[in-house]
Amino acid sequence: MSQQRRSHFVPRTPEGRVAVVAFLLLFFLSMPPVTHRLLDRPETWVGGVPFLFAALFVVYTALIAVLVWAWRKGI
Amino acid sequence: MEPWVVATSLIFIYLLATIVLGVIANQRMTVDMEDFLLYGRQAGFIVLYLTVVATFHSAFAFLGSGGFFYTHGIGFWAAGTWTLLVGAITYVLGPRIWALGKANGYITPADMLADFYESEAVRVAVAIVSVVFTILYIQVQAQGLGYIINVASGDRISFEIGTLILLIVAAAYLMAGGLRAVYWTDVIQGVWMYVAVWVGAMYLAYDLFGGPLQLWAEVRAQRPDLLSLPGPEGFFTPGMWIGMTITLSFGIIFQPHMMIRYYTAVDAKTLKLLGATTPIYLMTLYVPAALVGLGGAVAMPGLDVPDRIFPELLFAHAPPILTGVILAGATAAAMSTLDSILHANMSVLTRDVYQRYVAPDREQSHYVWVGRGIVAALLVVGYFLSVRTFDFLVVLVTLSGSGALQLMPAIVGVCFPTRRTLTRTGVLAGLLVGLGTLYVTLVVTPHPLGLHGGVWALLFNVATAVGVSAVTDPPTEATRDRIHGEVERQIYPETSS
Repeated sequence: MSQQRRSHFVPRTPEGRVAVVAFLLLFFLSMPPVTHRLLDRPETWVGGVPFLFAALFVVYTALIAVLVWAWRKGI
Repeated sequence: MEPWVVATSLIFIYLLATIVLGVIANQRMTVDMEDFLLYGRQAGFIVLYLTVVATFHSAFAFLGSGGFFYTHGIGFWAAGTWTLLVGAITYVLGPRIWALGKANGYITPADMLADFYESEAVRVAVAIVSVVFTILYIQVQAQGLGYIINVASGDRISFEIGTLILLIVAAAYLMAGGLRAVYWTDVIQGVWMYVAVWVGAMYLAYDLFGGPLQLWAEVRAQRPDLLSLPGPEGFFTPGMWIGMTITLSFGIIFQPHMMIRYYTAVDAKTLKLLGATTPIYLMTLYVPAALVGLGGAVAMPGLDVPDRIFPELLFAHAPPILTGVILAGATAAAMSTLDSILHANMSVLTRDVYQRYVAPDREQSHYVWVGRGIVAALLVVGYFLSVRTFDFLVVLVTLSGSGALQLMPAIVGVCFPTRRTLTRTGVLAGLLVGLGTLYVTLVVTPHPLGLHGGVWALLFNVATAVGVSAVTDPPTEATRDRIHGEVERQIYPETSS
């Protein structure tokens, strides 16, 4: 019974912890204040698109990669 | 042939195809509530994937998102955050809800919450929230549909008639084939809308600017105010960015038409793969929306209704056949969400109200027919709500999401075992306070201190639920063991045997 009452908010495996930490860290990169203080650079362009757009696309892609990695690891 | 004839004909051909699928689904259906309402809990990855993405992306993805980029600029690229969260929530929450549904025969979200919190009051409250806030969503989709057909026909088919035609078609195939018809049509709709929005946006980018990169350069030259935060009208403040991320992810996932999809999966592994991969579709659909909205602000400035930018550009610059195909895709986007909401409301009213309180012990076929009658009634309600006003789509979507968001503490309490759990009194008090706060922070004083009203409501809701739960009786040990034990076995099978 005590096993059943263990919290499900904290991952129990090392790979689970890696997935949660990686997802949260990357997710914070797509949130204020990072977006409004660091990524909002209208004068900087990457590959012909605004820096904010390109940077967030990279962050979103990395977040998807974390989810797919977690799925492949069976987490 | 005139462009409006081609566009309207293609939309009607598409509608005919959905009705044919509804009829075929009807022939495959067994007279059973689980089959009619839950696809027999047999949905595989491809069908589930396309129905989830098609349901999540609605008329808003086609019209409202382009309009938002047009008005508020690049800040709407925040949309990627909520699509990513939808994937993560599905990954974490989906298998838990699926396991509980399969083990306990749940059909609606209220089934699960009432069972765990041992409370009929919880069932009624959840059913009311589910229906009230998703009826707003019926309005949004139906208005989008009426508007699309009105534009496609060049004002020859009125908004009111267009809305009525498309509502009737969606209700017809839902009544004929139940959730199976919804899922099958969603497969077509999911593919069609994705291809349509990309093809339309790329065509316009090349035709008007010479390509996407030239489009960006032109926006930079002519409308640099659209390329920085918080946008020309100061909309995308940090508080709004965070608020929209939360309300348009958790808030939409907790609506019954999305939660019920978790019950329908064939297994938990399918749901995890779904969670890992749905953001690919959901997020990338906003790339062409950005091209349409931002490019449109340069090519066609000064539109009275910014949501019209995509179809207006198509009619002005694209060949009639392409315009028709793309507007049929827009129709698909709206119908795939509308049919799912009609189905969810039918399920809630049939299961949580009629079967529970009106006629508890009737044959399965009786409930199937009652469900069909409820769809007909919802069609009438939805139509009258839809023809009253046409408002900016995203405001209503956000309001819908904020309402369902208030179910979050109760759902998390069921799906995530902890040493101390929420109580029935706690979740009811939290829900009441959350909804009251929502009214104040969305209607009376919208978004106080720049933070989205839905988030204010959630904060007050959680504080109340936790506080009241600390001094009231939790669910019985037997219920906690049964339900949290099932979650434990599903998520950690190696340690719970």
